Amino acid sequence: METLNSSANKTFPREPANFDEVSMHQSMLFSDSLKDLKNLRKQLYSAAEYFELSYSNDEQKDIVVDTLKEYAIKALVNTVDHLGSVTYKVSDILDEKVDEVSGTELHIACIEQRLKTCQNYIDNEGLSQQSLVIHTPKYHKRYILPVGETADGGNLTKLKYQGCSLDDQDDWNQFRNAVRATIRETPPPTAGKGFSPSPSPRLFQQYGKFSFSGTTPKKELDRRTVSPHRFPLLRTASLASRPTTPKSSRPTTPNKSRPTTPNPSNGRRYAAEPRKSASMRLHVDSINIKDPEQHSSKSKRLLKSLLSRRKSKKDETLYTYIDEY
Amino acid sequence: MARAGGITNAVNVGIAVQADWENREFISHISINVRKLFDFLVQFEATTKSKLATLNEKLDILERRLELLEIQVSTATANPALFNV
Repeated sequence: METLNSSANKTFPREPANFDEVSMHQSMLFSDSLKDLKNLRKQLYSAAEYFELSYSNDEQKDIVVDTLKEYAIKALVNTVDHLGSVTYKVSDILDEKVDEVSGTELHIACIEQRLKTCQNYIDNEGLSQQSLVIHTPKYHKRYILPVGETADGGNLTKLKYQGCSLDDQDDWNQFRNAVRATIRETPPPTAGKGFSPSPSPRLFQQYGKFSFSGTTPKKELDRRTVSPHRFPLLRTASLASRPTTPKSSRPTTPNKSRPTTPNPSNGRRYAAEPRKSASMRLHVDSINIKDPEQHSSKSKRLLKSLLSRRKSKKDETLYTYIDEY
Repeated sequence: MARAGGITNAVNVGIAVQADWENREFISHISINVRKLFDFLVQFEATTKSKLATLNEKLDILERRLELLEIQVSTATANPALFNV
């Protein structure tokens, strides 16, 4: 009887200060309750023996039976209390551990996510670097014009050099020197000899050898080296230069460097181009011959009309001459 | 006297039988409660075992994931060129 009530009448120690002391106190209570549950079997067996002896020896059996009943009830209640507290503590500890494990899972998932992010970043960086290393030029070197030597050609050159890796000045200097050397080597055909409407086979050879037909004087050649349309090419450079070159200026400045692109696959096209340039040159030559005479006669007529304007003050004739001019 | 003694004996037997029935009822109540307690303990054992099994499984998974992470981190630290990309 006394041993059964000993666990219930225990005096609790003072209140703990920090978390470690609280946990230690709880663990001590838990271990004490477990010990009491283990000792409950022995206590019940000893109580049963005691009541059996007292019931057989004592004459007042009713009192022994009543005492036995009370003891059994108290023992059952204490057992339920002990088991309830123990199971509550066990389930509480299990829940705490499950919460800790779920928190650890979250931490590990976060670490894995960060690791995946780092791996994706590294993969993207590697891909970008590889894509920068493998740089395929859009156009071939010979189809690209030099960097803007004129103010007008600045934008054009920017357009032409997009996606190209030909910023090296040495290559352009070599290219320029080679072109100049070819210009010096090839004798300029004179305009007096004239061109037949059908080009000669020698002319084809000259065009195939990347030569220029130098009808213009050397000063004009030097001036034209400045222009961005110095070597307008058929396939690529014309994409950028065609819309900018006005069509009206073509007859006056014949495009002599067109056949300079040595491309044997476009033989038919080159066969048609020299005819066009030759006929244009004839037309220009005839214009150049006739121009001084017409210009002098028109200027004389304009002067006469101006003089007659003072006398007659009628501007109709003047307007007509101006319109004609 | 004999009739009176027989009546008192019958009354005593009735009281004894009633007390016996009361004792039996008490014992049955105690046994029922003990059985409920046993059922509770069995159920508690089952739930605790299932919780412990779930916890053990989670801990195993966490242990494997941590091992994988440790291997990845050790590989990355062993090859510092990976960080110079």
